[in-house]
Amino acid sequence: MRMDWEELQEKSFYRSSARERAYGIVDPGTFREFLGPRDKMYSPHLVILGEAVEFDDGIVVGVGKIDKHPVFVISQEGNFVGGALGEINGAKMAYMYKIALKCYEAMEEKYGTVPEDRKPLVVVSYDSGGVRLHESNAGLVAHSECMEALWKLQNKVPNISITGSSLGAYGAQGFVCMSGDVVLANDYGRIGLTGPDVIQQEVGKDEFDASDRALIWRTMGARSKYILGDVDYLLKDTIKEFREKVKELADMSMSEISKHRHLGSLELVEDNLDLVKVAAELKIDDSMDLWKYYGNEDLDELPEMPQEEFLKVAKRRPRKGV
Amino acid sequence: MALTELNFEFTPKEPKELNDEWGHVGIVSSGDLEILIEKGNAYKGKVSFHILTTVVGFDNVWETVLGRLVDKTGLSGVKVSINDNAATPAVVKRRLQQAIENGGGLQ
Repeated sequence: MRMDWEELQEKSFYRSSARERAYGIVDPGTFREFLGPRDKMYSPHLVILGEAVEFDDGIVVGVGKIDKHPVFVISQEGNFVGGALGEINGAKMAYMYKIALKCYEAMEEKYGTVPEDRKPLVVVSYDSGGVRLHESNAGLVAHSECMEALWKLQNKVPNISITGSSLGAYGAQGFVCMSGDVVLANDYGRIGLTGPDVIQQEVGKDEFDASDRALIWRTMGARSKYILGDVDYLLKDTIKEFREKVKELADMSMSEISKHRHLGSLELVEDNLDLVKVAAELKIDDSMDLWKYYGNEDLDELPEMPQEEFLKVAKRRPRKGV
Repeated sequence: MALTELNFEFTPKEPKELNDEWGHVGIVSSGDLEILIEKGNAYKGKVSFHILTTVVGFDNVWETVLGRLVDKTGLSGVKVSINDNAATPAVVKRRLQQAIENGGGLQ
């Protein structure tokens, strides 16, 4: 199988397949896929249901290198069953975290403390609507396994979340994405728990109009998340940009990376509650009210302007300890 | 209603070998398919297709589209595995060409 790394670098992250993202995010020629298409490990449940299957079950996992860092890559494919986590792809994802931890422990044993320039990291490119419900509880089990593994990785192995593909990170994957140490996004990134259609269906059109694209993007889109502090870095839409940012993060110390965290300590819970408090006090009915509260002007222009300009003028919510 | 399984075998008049060990292309989204081409000694001079599809009753169309392309290109010495989600014949043909390209082309 051929994959032109040079060509991938300039390619849009948004338009790339899961495999292209996985190959392009690490150094040239270093990516090794685990359980790739040739292993033909696909979902037995979908076969019984008469639904189409894919040889990699909609996820590309493997290991590559950035300089001397082993990089464990998980890359989801949103075009196959909405990128949703089932039994096979869920297990593949959860095991990558476990392998990363094993790698860390093995290095600890060998070197005493893991050398800064060799510390392993996990990079996850999200493109998922959540859990594959037609596989019963298998996807939820995989989700909880991921969360457990993430807890064990905390303060040991940096875990970088990327959202920049068509589906974003929703449902159970929204959790996992925000549990990462650092969250990267391009303008197409989206993070949420419940998707627009489900909100409309459950609470009504007055609460959330799922046909209003602008409303969706200014509520769940990367720019809004960037202003509110959920997305740490907003990047240009090429694989190269993401690779370089991951490289930059890989060279930071673990304690520096941990400062980006959004969840996982009492302080951070309080920080998040502050935002809820502000929202309640302002009685906001649109995320733009929050943008304004944090000092932004030209509210109508912000979602439209070129990214470079946006990064210059956007004022972000100050976060504790960052 | 399980998936439909189809198996075909063709013997091209002028057999040509794939350059690389394997090739892979496509994502199984709606109206699309995934093709995996793998070299194997058991397929010397012929090509074996194994298809899993969601669509029922198009066996003849599959046979015609694949047979024509094998005759035209001379693809041989390989096993071709396909996962299909209701792709049209034009898409099948294009993806197969891309899969050959991804496997380094034919000698």
